[in-house]
Amino acid sequence: MTQQEGRADGGGQQAQELEIGRPSPERTRAANEVGSAIAHQLNGPLTALRLYVGEIRQNSGRFRETAEAQDNMQQMVEGAFQETERVCAMMRLIADSFEGPLYPETAAALGRDVINWWSRSGAANGRGPERTVSIQALLTPREREVLAHVSQGCSNKQGAVRMQIGPRTFESHRARVMRKLGARNGADLVRMALGENSVTP
Amino acid sequence: MPALHLHDTRPIACLAKTATRILVIDDDACVGTAIQAILARRQCETALASRAHAGIHIFQASEFDVVIVDLFMPGMNGLETITRIRSESAVSIIAMSGFRLRNSLDPDQDFLGMAILRGATTSLRKPFSPPQLIAAIDRSLGLPSSTGESTQ
Repeated sequence: MTQQEGRADGGGQQAQELEIGRPSPERTRAANEVGSAIAHQLNGPLTALRLYVGEIRQNSGRFRETAEAQDNMQQMVEGAFQETERVCAMMRLIADSFEGPLYPETAAALGRDVINWWSRSGAANGRGPERTVSIQALLTPREREVLAHVSQGCSNKQGAVRMQIGPRTFESHRARVMRKLGARNGADLVRMALGENSVTP
Repeated sequence: MPALHLHDTRPIACLAKTATRILVIDDDACVGTAIQAILARRQCETALASRAHAGIHIFQASEFDVVIVDLFMPGMNGLETITRIRSESAVSIIAMSGFRLRNSLDPDQDFLGMAILRGATTSLRKPFSPPQLIAAIDRSLGLPSSTGESTQ
């Protein structure tokens, strides 16, 4: 690969590499870093895919209507499972081929740099939705109701009237929601609420 | 996951208690969402955080049985997150990573090994399967494996 590239654009560095007969350590390292960054980016979606497909396969017997439909479903699920496992096996090989720097701490710092660089480069577009907190899992129904009013722009007083509770009670609910979600201020809170698609009272 | 109405006939150790509270800290939200969907049918309550600082905040604001932490995230490193959580709690911590950056002095020591040294209870190599996830949770809680298959 390196040799072809060297011939194609004939750059000074490539020519030098041709003489030596193998890529420079810098270039190898750069290639490794990009490979690692790509592997890191792929690992998230792949993990999610493997979890979903594994679970669907485990339960595919439940999609039973006719024997024919069952066979067809089984075939597709099995195919999806096999392909997912195949890509996961490739990922393990890619991730294993990288040899890091001498010291673990340096390696950790480098790993983080690589990932941050990759995120900034814009090459990481197509990621899943950015979400800080799963609101539904953390809040009580009452607190979700308060959050819904706040995200619709209600003041403490308006929210209290809508919920038919005292403004002080509303305020204390709101304060608890902020603490639970780690919101620094009201704007932060609204942003979190809007980030979550389904905040319903 | 409205499309999936699945029923698991196999009981898992998570069910032994009323609900196991699990916090997932991963910058890739799709991983947390998938874990949440897998665990939802096993009476586990799962909270998600896509940043280390947010995760620590949630951890302090609520109570959890298990924290699952990705080792590489923008901002605070997963290793620092583990150190931080371990310094204030004995909660079960599962370190997960697919980014296997070996150091050439000691090829056996990868990041998951480092995470264990920092206080993680066990580790999970991405991409993992549902049985591997369940087995890791059982293992971190000191429960006998309920899936009967720890590797696949």
